[in-house]
This record gives sequence, C-alpha cells and structure tokens, in this order.
Amino acid sequence: MTSTMSMTTSATVILAAMVAAYVLAKILKLSTELSILAAALVGGLIGGAGIPARHIVEGAFTYLDICLIFITATLFMNLLKEAGGIAFVIRRVVQRFHHRKALLFIMLAVVMLIPGMLTGAGSVTVLIVGGLVASVLGYMGIPKPKAAAIVFVIAGLSAAAPPVSLWAMLTAAGVNMPYVGFFLPLMIPCLLLALATIFILGWKAKPADLDQILKELPEAPPGMSWFKIALPFLLFFALVVAGRIWPFDFPILGLPLMFAAAAAITLALSPVHINVLDVSRRTVHQLLPLIGTLTCVGILVQIMTLTGARGLIAISVVTLPVMVVILTLFLTLPISETVLMWGAAPVLGVPLVLLFNTINLNPIVALAGMSIIWPLGDALPPTAIIGRLTVETVGMKEKYGTFLKYCIVPAILIIIVGTLMVVFSKKLAFLTVF
Amino acid sequence: MIITWLYYLLVAYVVVLMVWNLIRSRKWQEEVLYVVVLLPFVLRLLRLK
Amino acid sequence: MNTLRKTIIIALGLVLAAFAGISFRASRFLKEPVVAGPSVARVATLGEYFAPIKGTANDANVFFLEGAKPGGTVLVLGGTHPEEPAGRLTTWILAENAVLDQGRIIVLNSTNRSASTVTRPSGAYPATYTIKTDWGGQTFRMGDRWSNPLDQWPDPEVYIHYPSKQNLAYMDIRNLNRDWPGRPNGTLTEKTCYALIQLINKEAVDIVIDLHEAELQYPVISTIVAHPKGLDIAAMASMTLSDEEFKIGMEKSPAELRGLSHREIGDFTKAIPLLFESPEPFLDATRGRTDARLLLEGKDDFVVRAGKRGLLFEKIDAKGWPIDVRVGRHCSTLIQVLSVWSADHADKAVIMTGVPKYAEIIQKGVGAFLHDPAKSDPKKIYYE
Repeated sequence: MTSTMSMTTSATVILAAMVAAYVLAKILKLSTELSILAAALVGGLIGGAGIPARHIVEGAFTYLDICLIFITATLFMNLLKEAGGIAFVIRRVVQRFHHRKALLFIMLAVVMLIPGMLTGAGSVTVLIVGGLVASVLGYMGIPKPKAAAIVFVIAGLSAAAPPVSLWAMLTAAGVNMPYVGFFLPLMIPCLLLALATIFILGWKAKPADLDQILKELPEAPPGMSWFKIALPFLLFFALVVAGRIWPFDFPILGLPLMFAAAAAITLALSPVHINVLDVSRRTVHQLLPLIGTLTCVGILVQIMTLTGARGLIAISVVTLPVMVVILTLFLTLPISETVLMWGAAPVLGVPLVLLFNTINLNPIVALAGMSIIWPLGDALPPTAIIGRLTVETVGMKEKYGTFLKYCIVPAILIIIVGTLMVVFSKKLAFLTVF
Repeated sequence: MIITWLYYLLVAYVVVLMVWNLIRSRKWQEEVLYVVVLLPFVLRLLRLK
Repeated sequence: MNTLRKTIIIALGLVLAAFAGISFRASRFLKEPVVAGPSVARVATLGEYFAPIKGTANDANVFFLEGAKPGGTVLVLGGTHPEEPAGRLTTWILAENAVLDQGRIIVLNSTNRSASTVTRPSGAYPATYTIKTDWGGQTFRMGDRWSNPLDQWPDPEVYIHYPSKQNLAYMDIRNLNRDWPGRPNGTLTEKTCYALIQLINKEAVDIVIDLHEAELQYPVISTIVAHPKGLDIAAMASMTLSDEEFKIGMEKSPAELRGLSHREIGDFTKAIPLLFESPEPFLDATRGRTDARLLLEGKDDFVVRAGKRGLLFEKIDAKGWPIDVRVGRHCSTLIQVLSVWSADHADKAVIMTGVPKYAEIIQKGVGAFLHDPAKSDPKKIYYE
C-alpha cells in the first residue's frame, strides 16, 4: 500500500482482500483452518509485508500454552474413556436414575458439562460422552435430531463453562484483564441453560427401559470403580487448590502438567491395558482441527495487527452506537464464531470489551454473557464444525436442517440470557467473586 | 527447573506424535496443517522462541 | 507423488521455521552498546546483589554515576517494560551524558532484561527499532511487557502475588511491575524484583524512578504516580513542569493494587518510589499498521478517531506522540524531581548536569545524545 493512502482506506483494502481470500479458499474446498491461513498470507502480501516469516511464526505461537492444555486435558479424557470410566459412569447413572426422568436428565447434563468445562472444547464433550448420552436419550424415545440438538447445545455450554473458557480467556488476555472472577458468571448460566435445554427438548421422553439400555450400552470393564474414576479428578483439583492455598511453597505446575498428572493416574489405575502411544497419537489427530484453528487464528491476528486490519475492526466497533452493538450480539457473535472459531475472541471480543469498559459495564459479566452466545455459531453452515461432529457422533441420518430446527428454542434462550448479562452486567457484578 | 524440563519433554512428546501423524497422513490439507501447527512446538523445543 | 508432496510441504515449513528462528535469535542476542558517560564510576551487575540472578537473562548492568560531593542516591529503572522505549532511551541518555556534581544516580537500562529479548505473539511488534544519529543510528531490541518464556516457563493457572496473595492474571507473573517486592525462591522475574530490593537497601537508595509509557486508552497516563511518602515531591514537580514545560499530572499509588513499584518499594524499603508515564499510541488496541514507525513517531489515524469519540485519556492529533517528545518528558520530569528533592534535602542532594531537557531533545532529537561506540574508548563500552 502506498503511504499516501489514508490509513482507513489502506486497512479496508487489506481487510477486503483477506475476506476475499478466505471466501475463495472456502469455495476451493479448503478447510476453515487453511482458509484462515490463506487470508492471513494474502493480508501479508497485500499489506506490503511479503511473506513475513517472523510474524507468521510468532503468530503461530499465540496459543501454544492453550494448545498444551487442550492436548493434555483431552488425553486425560480419552484415557478415561479407554479405561472404561465413561461407560461405567453412564451405566451407573442409568441404573440408578432410569425410573426418575428428572434426576436422570440432571445427571446426564452434568456428565456432559464436565469434559468441556475442563478442556474448554465442546468437541471433547461430543466425542467423549456425546455418543453415549445420545444413545441413552434414544432409549427414552427421543428422536436422533433432537438428541443431537441436546448434545450440541450442552457441549457448547460446557465449552463456555469454567474453569477453562477459551472465549473469555482469549478476550481477557487481549485486553490485559486478569482471567479472574469468571467462575460464577459463567458457571451459573451454563448450568441452568444446560438443564433448561435437556428438559425442554426432552420433555416428551418416556422413562427408559433399563434392561434394553444396559444390554446395548458398552460394558464397563470389571475392576472399574467410582474410586478409580474419582481419583484422577481429585488429584487434578487437589493440585489446583494446593497452588491456591500454598502459592509460595507449592511449585508452579501450570494446567497442562496438572492434566498430564491426572492422565497418568488414570492410566495407572486402568483395569484394562491401554496403548498410551496409540491413544496419544489419536488424541493429537482428533485435536488437529482445533489446535490447527488456534494456530492459524494466531497467525491471522498477528497479520491483521501488522497491517492495521485489526485496528480497523476495533475502531469501527468501538465507535458504533452501543445499543446497536448489544442488540446485534446475537448475530455478530455466532457469525464471527462460524468464520474464525476462537479467533472471534481476540478479533471481535477484544474491541467489544473495550467498548463496554468505556461505557462502564462490568467487563467480566459482559464477557461471560458473550461467551455463552459464541458457541452457538459452531452449528452454523458453512463450517459448522461441532454441529457436524455432533450429528456424526450421534449417528443421525436425517437432514442437517432438522437438527438445526431443534436447536432454535434453546439457542433463543441462550441469546436472551447472554444479552441480558451484558446489559445488566453492572448489577450482576457481585458474581465476580472468584 | 524440573517443571520447565517436564514442559520441554511434553512438547517433545507432542512433536513426536505430530510428526508421526504427519508422515502417515494421506491428505495434503492435513499435512499442511500439521506443518503449521508444528512450527511453535518445534521452535520452542529448539529454544528459539 | 505423495512422498514428493509431503517433502515439499515439510521443506516449506522448515524454510519458514528457519527464517523465523534466525530472526528471533538475532533480535534476542542483539548487542546494545552503552558508552559509559563522564560520571560513571563503576558498572556492577544485578547478580552481585542476589547471587541466584548471576548468569541469568536478568543479570543486567548497573551503572553507578557518582559526583565528587557526597549526597543522596537515586535509582532510575529503564526497561521494566521494554516495549515502552522512552523509558529505556532515557536511561541511555543518562548513562552516556549525565554529569554528577553531588550524590549518586544508579541506572539500569534493562531492568527486566529477559523481557527485552522477546516480542509478544500476535502483537506484530517489529523485532528492533533504530534511533537515527549523526553517525548513522543505534538499534535497540523491541522487547515486550513480559519476561521471555524461554527464561520462565510455565505460567501458573492464576498468579498469586507475594506477599499480598492478591490474584492477578496468570501471565503477569512475568510482568516485573506486578512482582514487587519479589521473593528469593520465586520465578526469575520475582527474583529480579527481590534482587532490586536488595540493591535499594544496600545502596541506601532515597528515590526510585520507574520509567514507563502507556496506551492513550489507559487512564494512568502523562503523570507521575507516587507512593504516599512521595506525594509532595510529585505534586511539586508536576506543578512546576505543567507551568514551565508541558502538562503532567500526579496521582497517588492506590493501596489495593499490589505488585507495582510505586506501591511495594515504598512499603518494603526506605526509598520513595515514583513512576513516570508518557503516552505511547503504539500500545493502543485500536492502533492501525503496527511497525517501528508507529513506535517512534506515535502517529495513528485510528487512535485519533478513538480520541474524537472521547475514548482516550490523553489528547492526540495528526502530529502524534514522537519518541523525542516522550523521552523529553521523562528527562525533564527526572531533572525536576531531582531539583525538588535537592532543594529540601541539602545533605542528600543529587545535583546533575549534562542531561538535556524537553525542549532541547525535541529540537535535536534523541539520537543527538547517543554516543558512537566506534569512536569511543572500548573500555567504556558496555553491552546490554
């Protein structure tokens, strides 16, 4: 770009070229990750930076630590599944609660929330427990598209739920705000909305026929027990808590090492033989689209920052009328999620929080409200990564649209709650205690 | 100190897994993505960044 | 076919990694010369005050500028946040030019040296920046706000400040200005603060000046932040400066924000800590194209637009905030603080000449006060 051109014009041209590159890459059937990468590379070229190796690689570093959290947490979950722990939990929950629909629903919702809470990824919830939960729901007379909708919506909420909520973490990091105080503002809506979802969509379910379910659910290996499942979780929480109680005596472990420790315990306690190398390899393969997204988004954000495209988005957002911004969150957040996945947080979330800060909203509650809306975008075509993953895992044969239709009611509920959290963030500030 | 070493070990393990998957991959898009994802892991391992 | 394709993809990745790796390494190990000025009596390193720092990335040079007459001692910290270049450049001007008549000035150009060896992922910072001089130019490492992860890794899941137990963002455990007063068995950055506290005690420092810059969207800007025991000095300096040279505010260090130099140094030592902030549009989140030009010229249309919307805490127009203005503010503020202090403490006075003021730096440029290492006595050259 020539220096005579105004900053706005030049950044607009660069941004337009990046969007065009993204769309073209999509038309050429490139994956979302590579389309993001293509947009970044074109942005560098049009922006006059050529192929800036330093910036590309530096951008790729942005989420390295989060990728490590992802890999270790998912490895932990996968090992637990291989050891038969997940099947054990589902069987026991069904056995105990099969004649009491309400309790069974509550237990299933909680079981679905945990993997995503710990890993920050809805896809992990879908992959680890989605299939099993859907089959239980199936025995209760819930059609597959409806079961898929339940799994998808709760998986999205599980990803937004604390302690690992990537949208909130990435946005907070982008505005130099501590990721502290988010637990309740995220946990309360996620839990309540997850329950609302399973009860609304599962309203017509009949009590399950226990014998048939137990016959068809995978067997838990003999020797598996609640103790063996609880121990790795207890270890994980003990490490987190120890770091907080004795911060100056306890070594700094970091989340990846804590998850790795939980994974090691799971492995040691497993009643069946597990090929760790194979599970690890499959875990990395399974996570490739996710860590690929994070890496490519890091590159994209770096190039957008380098060329001024990020500034253009930021300045455009913060100078819009506030009410317009808030009332269109239900569109802008899911759409940005469809295009950029977590990249939506640093690109759109950061200027939004800056804007909310300037008008004296509580940034933590507002960001928590936004964080529960974001994952809805994962069901929207063309990318619909987690939506498609859910449909496949559940084994749904119907049209994708049928599944989407069932998502609408809980989605509207989530949008309303999320938007209200933004609007009334100041009144809800008392939730930001830890 | 020991913990930092464990992190380098963890990164090395992930690099091995990724390279293994990269070698076995048959889809070009996946291969490109593995190479991109490997960049930060490899450079951290080499203590370049 | 498959193998060929794979080989090409891997080779391209390796080329990219190689170019980037070379660049990272080059900026990390770039040597920045300091030509010790007329009053530099000796040069120590931080490790001499706390052995575990010895040989680490943060074993920074400590310049002792001493006058013939005994007086007070002032410690000037540049590069607490290396991404705020006005702070480091001010320490260069000091170390290379200041003439002490009375008292001592101790200068650290790279207080968090580790942070000066890295740039922030997704920040798109330039690797280095160059200040023009008559003899060509001097190149500096860009640096970041946080210590290099190669020197301190991993981060905790939440950073709990010692000793207040306040919860802070996890990455701020690598932020030197959140780690005060530091702890001897902590992370590298915490140990660095601890070493600095040892230095302050051992050298009986009277005033600590921590040089910073801030984004215009940040409410603490163009100001002197003072510990309660330094409020009178800050108030007097800010009044005189606002009257005679440029507008600068004054504020009290909030008691509830922990880990900051202007709070903890005051609470944990006898010294009076003051922190100077000058405006750096390069740090604003709404900034446009990110490069060394923006860093040094401080001109940005988007930041100007944010200002028109009333989102900023400092004025900005098309002229921007050039580095000469920002360094000029720091130098004049320092001179003013010394003069206020010396007027009230004759026996502990620190009398300094040779350091240019605001107007002179704007007129001649920062580069006019950097010395050519090629033409200097090699024994006087120290590398940061």
